[in-house]
Amino acid sequence: MATVAGIDMGVQNVKVVILKGGEILSYGLAPSGFEPEKAAEQAFEEALGKAGITPSQVVHVAATGVGVELASRVDSKVSVVSADAKAAVHLYPSARTVVDVGAEESRVIRCDGKGTVLDFAINERCAAGAGAFLEAMARALEVRLEDMGRLSLEAEGTVSISATCVIFGESDVVSLIHKQVPKHDIARAVYDALAERITSMIHRVGLEPPVVLVGGVARDVGFAAALKRKLEAEILIPDHPEMAGALGAALHALEKVGEA
Amino acid sequence: MWLQVVSEILKLTVFAGLTLAGILAILIWKKDLKTKITYMRFLVQAASMVAFYLLFSYTTELLLILAAIFVLSIFWGRLFCGWLCPFGFYMDLTAVVRKAFKARYWNIPDKLNKALDKLRYAILAFFLCLPFMLGPIEPWQWPLVKFLVGPFKPMSVLLSPVEPLVIPWESAVKLYGINLSYPYASVIAYYSGEKFALLSITIFAFLTLASSFVVRRFWCRFCPTGATFSALNRFKPFSWIPILRLHKVEEKCTKCGICRRVCPATVTEVYDRKGGDIKTSMCMLCLRCVEMCPYEDCLRLNLAGKTVFRSRNWLEPSKIE
Amino acid sequence: MEASAGKKYGVELPPKEAEELRKAMKTASAKLMNEYVERMRKAWPNRPKVMQYFDDVARFFDTRERELLKAKEEGKKVVGYTCMFAPIELILAAGAIPVRVACGVYDAVKLGNRIVPVEVCPVVRSTVGAGMVDLSPFIELSDALITALTCDGMTKLSEILSDKKPVWTLNPPRLKDAPQSTRFWREELKTVKTKLEKLTGTKITAKGLKSAIEIMHRATRAFKRLQEIRRSNPPVIMGRDAMLVNQTAMWDDIERWTAKTEELCMELEKRAGEKVWACPPDTPRVMLAGSPAIWPDNWKLPNIVEEATPQGVIVADEFCFGDRFLFDPVGVDEWTMEDMFNAVAERYLLPSTCPYFTSEDGNEDRVNWLIARIKERRVDGVIYHVFRGCMLYAIEYMRIKRALDKINVPVYYLDTDYTREDVGQLKTRVEAFLEMLKSRVEV
Repeated sequence: MATVAGIDMGVQNVKVVILKGGEILSYGLAPSGFEPEKAAEQAFEEALGKAGITPSQVVHVAATGVGVELASRVDSKVSVVSADAKAAVHLYPSARTVVDVGAEESRVIRCDGKGTVLDFAINERCAAGAGAFLEAMARALEVRLEDMGRLSLEAEGTVSISATCVIFGESDVVSLIHKQVPKHDIARAVYDALAERITSMIHRVGLEPPVVLVGGVARDVGFAAALKRKLEAEILIPDHPEMAGALGAALHALEKVGEA
Repeated sequence: MWLQVVSEILKLTVFAGLTLAGILAILIWKKDLKTKITYMRFLVQAASMVAFYLLFSYTTELLLILAAIFVLSIFWGRLFCGWLCPFGFYMDLTAVVRKAFKARYWNIPDKLNKALDKLRYAILAFFLCLPFMLGPIEPWQWPLVKFLVGPFKPMSVLLSPVEPLVIPWESAVKLYGINLSYPYASVIAYYSGEKFALLSITIFAFLTLASSFVVRRFWCRFCPTGATFSALNRFKPFSWIPILRLHKVEEKCTKCGICRRVCPATVTEVYDRKGGDIKTSMCMLCLRCVEMCPYEDCLRLNLAGKTVFRSRNWLEPSKIE
Repeated sequence: MEASAGKKYGVELPPKEAEELRKAMKTASAKLMNEYVERMRKAWPNRPKVMQYFDDVARFFDTRERELLKAKEEGKKVVGYTCMFAPIELILAAGAIPVRVACGVYDAVKLGNRIVPVEVCPVVRSTVGAGMVDLSPFIELSDALITALTCDGMTKLSEILSDKKPVWTLNPPRLKDAPQSTRFWREELKTVKTKLEKLTGTKITAKGLKSAIEIMHRATRAFKRLQEIRRSNPPVIMGRDAMLVNQTAMWDDIERWTAKTEELCMELEKRAGEKVWACPPDTPRVMLAGSPAIWPDNWKLPNIVEEATPQGVIVADEFCFGDRFLFDPVGVDEWTMEDMFNAVAERYLLPSTCPYFTSEDGNEDRVNWLIARIKERRVDGVIYHVFRGCMLYAIEYMRIKRALDKINVPVYYLDTDYTREDVGQLKTRVEAFLEMLKSRVEV
């Protein structure tokens, strides 16, 4: 059984997964910052340390994400879309639609039981459909991003804010605050706006349940709840949703080595 | 006696051989793909006229000739009109003269075209009903007899376009001892009486030829013979019988309109139809549209479902080169 | 419409600034052309030698511009046209030189933004910008411009260009199938014919028109011959090179172009026989559909497709600046003046699959054309390329997607603009799409 590694060069964080056979040995994570190559090394070392193995024991390293050329050791590349599909089907064999909401890019992928991509859509080049939207709204609401999710679950009323643009969204939030709308209602509206954008992307690609939600934003309970509200379909969220890309890359590495 | 039979067979063989040789010559040496089929058709029309002359010289049993043509036409629809009809040949010859003078033709407006189409059937019905409407009714004059050899001879009307220019029996017009005729001449002679026969025939000939100079295939829009053939195409119970069909593959059609523009019968169905078999009764299977369609395999001539000729990119040099 | 005395669409640049900008953009553009030609050469190691001819023509600032200047000195007239509806046969028969004018330079957009808002089609903004500093040699050297009033962008561009040059408009009827449409279109072309004769002083005779039609027949024959060759699996010619050959037809001397293209085709047919492929057999075969990718800057997308990992090869496109340009021949029946003119008129109107047209019963012409090409060239996937602000192609996307879903061909909607900043994002998407195509092919 070969030991392989998958690296996901994300815009905010670099994630690493070490896989032996079909079993996940360890994870690594480091913020990308201005020097993503250093972050990649850091994350890789962290994962190696947790798995208790040396770099030479890793037979193949596959990378995905933006700026893969910057990672010091890359044996093969795979697109984030393919990686997400592979990871989703590995974790949930019945998965057929994958939603990956990252910091600046969101993807919706439809796949088959083998993890082969059938169709996909990537959000139209604007951060309003991704995690950066939530960050900006949290700032406007003056709450911590980690707390906004739980806050939104306490909502009693429904209001809506613009989903087309971060700037417009921010000004909507500010005007709602001035109208004395309670913060938890506004928080819920923020998640509804993001979920609305993601849902229309899902319908463009075609919804085939069950849906697997991955990416950093999947950890946010507010978003998960909002998406469940918009999509009347089963939504599965893995334990480490932000690691999906790296896991997919590692699975690709496994294929390259011959152990599909 | 035997000698005569052998010499006749020899004559026919030579004739058939010459025709085939001519067709082969055109297939091999005519490079321009846009007009190859047209040239071939011309040759076949000329050969057909000679063939009818020979046929008439063997037998004047109109019944036999008629039966043969009609039985065959059940299967190949209006191919007769496009490839075998001598009257059609004369009209195509006038078209050649017209083209030499660079004169343009007049395109019949769509509504008039459709009206004339219906008129054909009216004319056909008229001639078929004539024996019943006129003439004494005596017990022994069964309608069937009237049809075939009785007065007003509707069958002879149906066979008229087939009368070749030179006929093997006595005619009103003689040139250097050769008997000349014109389609429908005998019918016109019969109806107008002996005194006015020649005049009527001349007027008719002049009108039809002159009109063919301006309108392509003028007589075909009135021809009762053609109407009989197309009746088979038109009426649903019979529409499955013809085994020669034009077929259009919808995906390959770019709606360029060339087929509609070059059709001598001004058929628009090939252009309008969204794929499938062309069922119009005006189409004479002259194949001009298939020849001129520049997209490969868009229009096809199907024989019992199998494609025997398809449109191709005529900008390419001929593959036989 | 003669060029008006006072400019309708103001915003003048001081001459010195305009001249400096023009020089800078021309240098940058020429440099870019060289770079892209180099990249094409690198990507295809055994590129045929005759492609060098097309590389030279593609660098039109040096080569073709000089030729046109010389022709004008000798008294010949140049007639530019913006859209594929302009009747090239009539231009040739009148003794003028046809050139297509549409700007593919990204930097000109910044100037165009001063006159026209950012939401408008970038082709329009770029052409307007180029016009402001006299950048495009083809616009500058034209004695008249034939424009087609098709999409909103083209229609208003026609107005803006009339500030610079005499503009002769052609108004194609949106319902090209209606019987009155062909009649109207013939009248439109008759007007242009009269104007051409007046401009060049040469009457268009039947003989002249016949010879013009025959010249274009030979060009169409060469064009289609190259397209036939692109059917081969694996390909013998890389997509960008074929696209370059297609586009150079629009501004090059058409008879010379025909001869060189026939030469190229003979070489490629020989290679097909000897099994000398341009790329590996399992390279995903991509078709580009939608807004046209105009040389040079718009090679952005073709570059991404053919230099991606995994590499894709462009085997077909749906661009009016590409495979559609000389797709349809003029079908003449009787070679009389009347018939030839009708044939030319119908050829430019009826088979066009521009999304500007519509119909009452399904509007399938474009769908049929795409499906026929997909089957013919064994296309694995379609990238639907739309410029920001291009309503017609954007709206038709869903229609095309449904039709292609039925034949199980993936379509990817890619919207972009005249900018280099989105190359990274496009690369991600295109690579994901190519990976998807590759895994489908393997399955």
